[in-house]
Amino acid sequence: MLVLLFILFGGLAIGCAINVVAQRNPLYCAISLIGVFMSLACLYLMLAAPFIAAVQIIVYAGAIMVLVVFVIMLLNVEQEEKRRIRTGFLVPVAVVLAGLLIGEVAFVLWSVDPNPTLQSSDIGLTSSIGAALFTSYLLPFEITSILLLMAIVGAMTLARRTDVLSPEARVIPGAQVLALSDIDPRASHDVQTPIITDSSAEAAALLGLAGKRDQSKRD
Amino acid sequence: MEPHLSWYLALSALLFTIGVVGVIVKRNVIAMFMCIELMLNAVNLTFVAFASFFQDVTGQLFVFIVMTVAAAEAAVGLGIIIAIFRNRESLDVDDASILKL
Repeated sequence: MLVLLFILFGGLAIGCAINVVAQRNPLYCAISLIGVFMSLACLYLMLAAPFIAAVQIIVYAGAIMVLVVFVIMLLNVEQEEKRRIRTGFLVPVAVVLAGLLIGEVAFVLWSVDPNPTLQSSDIGLTSSIGAALFTSYLLPFEITSILLLMAIVGAMTLARRTDVLSPEARVIPGAQVLALSDIDPRASHDVQTPIITDSSAEAAALLGLAGKRDQSKRD
Repeated sequence: MEPHLSWYLALSALLFTIGVVGVIVKRNVIAMFMCIELMLNAVNLTFVAFASFFQDVTGQLFVFIVMTVAAAEAAVGLGIIIAIFRNRESLDVDDASILKL
């Protein structure tokens, strides 16, 4: 029974993985990848790891793939066009290396013996994972949290528009508070006077600095 | 008869190989990115299989950390992809082979 389930989910995972590589449309790639994640979650259940299976579905199929599909649809990706293979002379090398890999896998399958057997235990349960995570593996856990914080900051820095605010900027949602030195660099001594406007051009006009700014550009 | 440990290892090796082939063959940045996720998942399967067969919770903890790293990689990688697309109007890696615009 378990062998049948393994063949079912393993075959599903391999088929979906091959489909990920074979598809030309990235959206179909993403949906096939979700199939791989689902079948791997079923394999984790077979391996008595229900917590990891749930996290696999929630984090991978839920969060990461939603992000990927969102970016695919945001960027309006066209289909990958067919082109000549760049490294055609490497194809025989690749075939030989693939044969070597299959040989190694066959060696593992037939010669590694005796195999440990899977017995029922509670190591896959949430309580045992949490106990280990917050006692002996606390430092990797904290480092991971710092990594996530860095990822948040880095993603926002990379994805936002980095245009400098120009005096001609017209649409700025909400009122903003600018110091005088932000509008006129020469008035750097007066950083205490805030100006509340809806755009920097308006602020410059309020201060009578628009003409001066143009002069400074000409200089 | 039950699935052996070596079966899971063989499945994981196959998935990893398919992911490597995808990274080499694909030209779309997002498709390459998804193949990298596939390779990470193949390694995760190895971790969980060893953890279950050797009765050690450490493997499952490492799966947890690998998933976190994958999430961070997804966020930063997709930010980079959006920045590349904004500058070059293309997702082909061959179009992004030089730093100069």
